[in-house]
Amino acid sequence: MSSLAASAPLDIQEPAEGQRPSLSSSEPNLRKPPGHQGRFFTVPGQIVSLIVLITPLLVALYMSFTDWSPTRSSLKAAAFVGLENYKELLIYDNRFLEAILRTLLLALICLSLEFVLGLSLAVLFLRNFRGKSFLFSAFLTPMMVLPVVVGYTFWMLFQSNGPINQILTLIGLGAIEWFKSPALAFSAVVITEVWHWTPLFFLILLSGLNNVPENPIRAAVILGASPRRLFWKVVFPMLRPVITVAFVIRAMEIIKIFDEVFLLTRGGPGSSTESISLYIYKLAFNDFQLAYGAAAAFIVLTASLIMVHFLLMPVREQLLDKGR
Amino acid sequence: MLKSKLTFVTAALLFIALIFTLFPVFWLVSTAIKPPIDWNASPAIWVPKEPTIINFKTLFAPEAIRAYGVGGVSQAATKAVLGSILASVVATFISVSLGLISAIGLSRYSQSTWATPLIILSGRMFPPAAIAVPFVIVFSMTALMDTFTGLIAIYVAVTLPFSTWMLKSFIDELPREIEEAAMLDGKSRIAAHFTVTLPLVKGGLFATTMLVFILNWSEYMFAQVLSNTRLSTIPVQLAKYVTATAGTLYGVQAALAVLAMAPLILGGYFIQGHLARGMTFGAIKK
Repeated sequence: MSSLAASAPLDIQEPAEGQRPSLSSSEPNLRKPPGHQGRFFTVPGQIVSLIVLITPLLVALYMSFTDWSPTRSSLKAAAFVGLENYKELLIYDNRFLEAILRTLLLALICLSLEFVLGLSLAVLFLRNFRGKSFLFSAFLTPMMVLPVVVGYTFWMLFQSNGPINQILTLIGLGAIEWFKSPALAFSAVVITEVWHWTPLFFLILLSGLNNVPENPIRAAVILGASPRRLFWKVVFPMLRPVITVAFVIRAMEIIKIFDEVFLLTRGGPGSSTESISLYIYKLAFNDFQLAYGAAAAFIVLTASLIMVHFLLMPVREQLLDKGR
Repeated sequence: MLKSKLTFVTAALLFIALIFTLFPVFWLVSTAIKPPIDWNASPAIWVPKEPTIINFKTLFAPEAIRAYGVGGVSQAATKAVLGSILASVVATFISVSLGLISAIGLSRYSQSTWATPLIILSGRMFPPAAIAVPFVIVFSMTALMDTFTGLIAIYVAVTLPFSTWMLKSFIDELPREIEEAAMLDGKSRIAAHFTVTLPLVKGGLFATTMLVFILNWSEYMFAQVLSNTRLSTIPVQLAKYVTATAGTLYGVQAALAVLAMAPLILGGYFIQGHLARGMTFGAIKK
């Protein structure tokens, strides 16, 4: 660590907070402020994003104003229909609007369950017990499993002759046809999603709980607070930023949900478990309504952007913080 | 926090949670070692009496399963496995390299006026289905459909915000002074980034690489819509078994699923300490 040894002279000079132009003006390297050359560092990444992400988006935007379908004509020959696709989607396409509402409902239910379960588990982990580090790893396992594999595995578990029904029969509830009724199929999706992502809440909340400062807790204990009051009045308020992060991150992910639903129910029965991603996928790649699908995609993109803006507001500071 | 011991009730709760967590994984592994006759038995068989590795063999030599009187596996999964490795490794390497350079730029030169990282970040929120449509259109115009180049380009673009942000959060933790010390020794600022800062974020670099690899390895939809005959990845192959011959190939599917899952669980274990940071774009440091 020769570099650390060499940092000694800097301390003597008392660098100004944040900026350091006057440190040692005799050094040619330090005299240049670290301004403009830095711009080039992000250029390669921005070029990639621009070419790979932005170009297709612009083409699709144009396309969403046409009536193009690859089975009928070439994109050039497609007629320009203005906002027709958008109007159709937003006013007449009930399946589209239902898919949006359903995705939001799924997010609401899953996130609530994941929060409650994740928090309970994290609170249990505040105790000391043997095998804790093994259990910690074990509880994180679901997060590592590929979404496709999760979908496929739960599809097996929910089969009419599968193990879940076997257990239900054993405790006297009787077997259930999970994929034949809309409500049950939706529950199956919820259970799958909760299994997959509760570990993330657990992980985030536990790291939050472990970083809660001890002094306020000691003080509360000395003042005679009951464990319950201690948790809700002292610990919980300090956890709030961490809870917000967990919800925001999960909300961003769950509204994209596709793989699990696709493998579990294919959106069925009918379209009763279709998420918004699944509907767009079916439009574009099963029905080849690419122009219409592109319009749907843009509505969702715009809505997502607006939503992400509001979702990120409470955590903006944490994400932008310079880490010092 | 105040520590206390487990009571009987809390221990029982933990045990139930553990069962709930591990049961699906257990079921998958158990199915992967079931002989065909046990695959879809009624009532379901929990632990096969005669465990076998025939399902794993069948993945790479489709004829093997015929000995059990089961047909229907026409295609070996070899191509999908190699495809997954190729696409994930190359895309992860490019994404982390570009991300590292961007992260240095954002962390060391950032002037809040031109850095609009939240816009980059929002890229993670686009439903893949919404960007898959434009990709397919542009890719079919440029002959990138069904190619690894196309798939890797998408993976890089989609994971770049992730690698940039995670690496930035690691670099942010190192004081700039250590680089300036090296500069007093006569190094250029850029040389200082790579000779001083880089070695100190090795752990972060490893964790980031692992997380980006997990994202690429798990990706399904883009691979699905781009692939036709030449391109294949494990998730695509896995879903193929489900649609083409559902109900008959449980064990083979499960075997491939186990193969796909094993490296991620192992890798996830190694970067456990960085997981919270990775999953929250650096919003939570520990």
